[in-house]
Amino acid sequence: MPFFLKERKNLTILIALIFFHFMLISLQVPIGEKSSFFEKAVFSVFSPVRHGVLSFFGAIGSIWRNYFDLRNVQEQNDQMLEEIQYLRQENNLLRNALQNFRSEREIEESLLEMHENILPSQVIGLDPDNFYKSVIINKGTLDGIKKNMIVLDKNGNLVGRIIDPVSLKEARVQLITDNESGISVFAQRNRVPGILVGDGKGQCLMKYVLATTRSEEISEGEDVITSGYDRMYPDGIRAGRILLIASDASLHKHIIVEPYFDFRYLDQIAVIMKDPQEFFKD
Amino acid sequence: MRLNDYIRMAVGILVAFLFYTIFSRVSPSVLLLFNLFSLIVFYFAVEKGEILGACLGTTCGLFYDYFFIGVYGVAGMSKTVSGYLAGYISRKIDVQPPLRNFIFLFVLLSFELILWALVFSFIVPTRIDTGGGRIFFQPLFTAFLGSILFYLLKKIKKDEY
Repeated sequence: MPFFLKERKNLTILIALIFFHFMLISLQVPIGEKSSFFEKAVFSVFSPVRHGVLSFFGAIGSIWRNYFDLRNVQEQNDQMLEEIQYLRQENNLLRNALQNFRSEREIEESLLEMHENILPSQVIGLDPDNFYKSVIINKGTLDGIKKNMIVLDKNGNLVGRIIDPVSLKEARVQLITDNESGISVFAQRNRVPGILVGDGKGQCLMKYVLATTRSEEISEGEDVITSGYDRMYPDGIRAGRILLIASDASLHKHIIVEPYFDFRYLDQIAVIMKDPQEFFKD
Repeated sequence: MRLNDYIRMAVGILVAFLFYTIFSRVSPSVLLLFNLFSLIVFYFAVEKGEILGACLGTTCGLFYDYFFIGVYGVAGMSKTVSGYLAGYISRKIDVQPPLRNFIFLFVLLSFELILWALVFSFIVPTRIDTGGGRIFFQPLFTAFLGSILFYLLKKIKKDEY
């Protein structure tokens, strides 16, 4: 084939490929924050592979760790038995204290309900683009995970919520530190309302608290809890602590909130297996 | 192209896939510094020509978008164009000597990053997260490791024959 014809053929292929990408992008863009069918399909195809690879390396890692763990397991076991003893006693004391207010049946029911509604999960991937934006967990639609379910850390502090795409065995969690996340909250002491927005750098901002709010009403070190006004997160979940309150010329105060969940220990999380809308039925 | 070449490419993509899967869990910041998918595209583009570079750029770009949870096609487009250019330039200039190879990779990676940033900011309204500026070092870091890697691969190949 003459040289110029070959060059032309190559350019045609390049243009065709660029056109393909334009088409692909345009298929996704108009949908906005909802993930497209294409995105869901790719996520569904590759997430089991990724899951498999991580499980494989995780298994090798756990064999190695188990070997070392075995070496001091007896000592740990004794310590844990002792700790269980204390915790049982503490549990009994608390049950007795609760009994004064509610019947045993009510307590059993609420404990059982709590237990049934929590699904422990493991974080298997971070968003390399921005660590504080989202994480991927090892539970998906097969485990009953649905969009908007609330995610807590192991101490019951707010971590975020499930967002699209959710595949069979994996799901994505939008963290409260994501700058696209917004939660209706209260400063706990005087119930001063605001909107908790992530700063994308590991902390949050409590927005729309008027500059005229007095310092007695809101102060540093105060807990920030969900208010339930957004009908997305039920009220009373601990989200973070006010780190800094500053006032400038604007209408609103500048409030920095430190989330309660610790990013370093985010391996284990808990998903509340309840449609958030059910919290607002009453 | 022989069957062997297809197998090598598949292995290359698989290695990159494993690399990104593991590092997205272990140390995501490494992924901002080292762009293995681009190196695979450039390696085969130099060896097999611009068309294969462009096609492989498309494939690797889609994988890249999958890992970076972006809009599918953004990285694909930048990798397709840079893959094509890698094949085209390497036909005109000898890019095998290590220093020239480093400059060649650095220029292409910088071009790819700029193109990616332009397309991304055109489509997505939010600011690009640079990972604390780490992403700006990606061309330099990847080109440095890439030129060493290509040199070693060339040496191994030479020893085989």
